[in-house]
Amino acid sequence: MSALRLTLRAAPAQRVDCAPLTPAALGGKSAAEIGALLLAAGGPPVRVDDLFTIEGTPGDTLVLAGATARLDGIGTALNGGTIEVDGDAGDYLGRGMATGTIRVSGSVGTFAGSGMTGGELRVRGHAGDFLGAPLPGEHRGIRGGLVLVEGNAGERAGDRMRRGTLLIKGNTGALLASRMVAGTIAVGGTVGPGAGTGMRRGTLLLPALPAGLPATFNDCGTFPLSFLTLLARAWRGLPAPFGDLPERGLRVRRLMGDLAAEGKGEILIRA
Amino acid sequence: MLLKLTGGRVYDPAHGVDGQVRDVYVRDGRIVAAPAPGTTIDREIDLRGRVVMAGAIDMHTHIGGGKLNIARAMLPEDHRGEAVQRSALLRASCGHAAPGTFATGYRYAEMGYTAAFEPALLPMNARQAHLEMGDVPMVDKGGYAMLGSDDFLLRLMAAGTEQAVINDYVAWTLHAARCIGIKVVNPAGISAFKFNARRMDLEDRHPYYGVSPRDVLRTLARAVHELGVPFPLHVHSNLLGVPGNFPTTLGTVEASEGHPIHLTHIQFHSYGTEGDRKFSSAAAQIAAKINATPNASCDVGQILFGQTVTASGDNMSQHRNAAVASPKKSVTMDIECDAGCGVLPFRYKDKNFVNALQWAIGLELFLLVTDPWKIFLTTDHPNGAPFTTYPHLIRLLMDRTFRNECLGTINPDARTLSTLGSLEREYTLYEIAILTRAGPARLLGITDMGHLAPGARADITVYRDDANREAMFTTPEYVFKDGEEIVRDGRIVKVVQGRYHTVEPEYDPAIDRRLAEYFEKYLTIRSRHMWISRDELSGLGHDAEVVVHPTRRAR
Ligand SMILES: [Zn+2]
Repeated sequence: MSALRLTLRAAPAQRVDCAPLTPAALGGKSAAEIGALLLAAGGPPVRVDDLFTIEGTPGDTLVLAGATARLDGIGTALNGGTIEVDGDAGDYLGRGMATGTIRVSGSVGTFAGSGMTGGELRVRGHAGDFLGAPLPGEHRGIRGGLVLVEGNAGERAGDRMRRGTLLIKGNTGALLASRMVAGTIAVGGTVGPGAGTGMRRGTLLLPALPAGLPATFNDCGTFPLSFLTLLARAWRGLPAPFGDLPERGLRVRRLMGDLAAEGKGEILIRA
Repeated sequence: MLLKLTGGRVYDPAHGVDGQVRDVYVRDGRIVAAPAPGTTIDREIDLRGRVVMAGAIDMHTHIGGGKLNIARAMLPEDHRGEAVQRSALLRASCGHAAPGTFATGYRYAEMGYTAAFEPALLPMNARQAHLEMGDVPMVDKGGYAMLGSDDFLLRLMAAGTEQAVINDYVAWTLHAARCIGIKVVNPAGISAFKFNARRMDLEDRHPYYGVSPRDVLRTLARAVHELGVPFPLHVHSNLLGVPGNFPTTLGTVEASEGHPIHLTHIQFHSYGTEGDRKFSSAAAQIAAKINATPNASCDVGQILFGQTVTASGDNMSQHRNAAVASPKKSVTMDIECDAGCGVLPFRYKDKNFVNALQWAIGLELFLLVTDPWKIFLTTDHPNGAPFTTYPHLIRLLMDRTFRNECLGTINPDARTLSTLGSLEREYTLYEIAILTRAGPARLLGITDMGHLAPGARADITVYRDDANREAMFTTPEYVFKDGEEIVRDGRIVKVVQGRYHTVEPEYDPAIDRRLAEYFEKYLTIRSRHMWISRDELSGLGHDAEVVVHPTRRAR
């Protein structure tokens, strides 16, 4: 498997839009052609070879080494292939991606995975606000695929999510799963106030009852749910605390809401 | 500096020039007669084989005013995908259906347009609208002041006030709002909506003032005529978009009682109720009426398939249509207690029966109205489609084979119901030059634009002749504005500002006191604050020139 490696020469002074850098878009191009591509940036556009050293040959995998939080839009609309980010990524990482894999060793900015429809997005560090959320004016957040954040996520993670899986190993900020329509979100740590505000359907799996839950959620009591067995099997192979979900004997306390919206969402608290 | 454009095929319908090879001379921003032999030519451009026309004029395009800003605020997604990057010459801008001011000016010029007129300028919002249009570079502009649902007029009419006073008010409005014409939208209906009426037909009475749309149409058409404003009353009829609305449209023509009347975006007003789905084309009846009525003209408001946004003063119809917004969001609101507006995004789909038939109805109207001086090429930007689709629309009109290919791909039920496939007419370049140049200038009463005779402003567009008319009209080879080369090969080479076009009909200043009292009592600002002076207007447009076109009192 061939790989193209772009190594940042120095931290850019301005934000740079890296959306044109995907394995598919660079496939078949020579190093000179790739180097001559222009990226929109604060101030005048910049050439790829002014920003990065270029090694290897384009193929399935693109490695962005020495990346910083100024690199926006990495993996935008990714449709196949793998992008490995060695370092941090800026805003809009994997926005609208459909298939393929993005792995980030550091942390990412706002709107990572915004409106993605499929594929896999894995972040070793933290994610900023609006993880998976639609941009202002849009109606739909994550519509498919898997997002796994090993650190914390900011506010509004999973806003308007409709499908897919959003897993956050650490803590989240306020308004997790706001306006959620469907899909599954699980969190390993603590959750900020207002979780599930405007939630219509969908499932939120949490280790403990969060503070500041909207009054428009109803407690339905604690019981076993056979659906959790299927979920546990589907998550085998993922890191803890998701991959080690017990297949049997798991009981959850179920809260239904948000009754101010459609009210068919559920927040499941592990008993 | 004397410029000679040599050997092009000139289309100048105002003077009956139909593709004859002519030289065009330009000096000091104007077209001049051929100079005496031996005169030094400073620059000569060889245009042999090229098509030469005056700069195009869009006589109905929503490019300024509050509703556009509502559309922009409501549709950030419309802007994100269509960025215009800053260059040494151009400012950054964006937008597809509701582009920013800079993108608007650039795209018009790139298509060979040199003037654009905003048809729904709310007098109360005039300052903001002119500021916004002042920021649109490259093209001349002007506005039509919206009356007909304003409480002051309805109040005067309800009290039986004589026409002379109403004329004074209309004239005052043209001065105060610095406009070139008067527009009426859903006559009396915008106000009636606020009194909970949800439908206004010609004979219906306003729930509070008791006046009917017919009364409003007659009164305003007469006022515009008696004030000697060249541009006829610009009418957006009642019942926009309602199946079976065509008798109302026919009645609207009658309601002007012989005074000049222009029906705008008639495509949306040419619907019957035949067939299983109770939606059919009445283009034939409407076209026959336009053909038979010497005092009537129209523009089409063609729809073209794709995403756009509809923005209108017609709160009543926009409220009715809010359920079909796509994506699902809309705004219906009051403006300054004096008018209203409605904005909703819309995606016209070729496989949708209603949309496909709307598309066909618009084209039927283009082909059935026989006199090209009475019909104008518009999409009611952005309501039917963004103005950037004009080259595509021109190809549909000029190329029957292409038109029938497109017809073959639309919703089959709509195709069966439409007579479009049987219409053989193909527009000529001469007729296109009437629809987009000579006709609008004549209707607006602008005597030195839209043609290429000596004395005209040297707004000139040069096209490479191309059997693919869409390609031809998308990318002119040269565009000159006031004699300066502003576009070369579809790319802007010089940024210019453009001027405002206005009229200032005479009126009895006694109306000032009456208005001052009324504003003081009922409105959000004083009348003297609403008033925009000529100097202020110039400032709103970055020191733009303000042209006042002559009016001639009818009595
Ligand atoms: Zn309009």
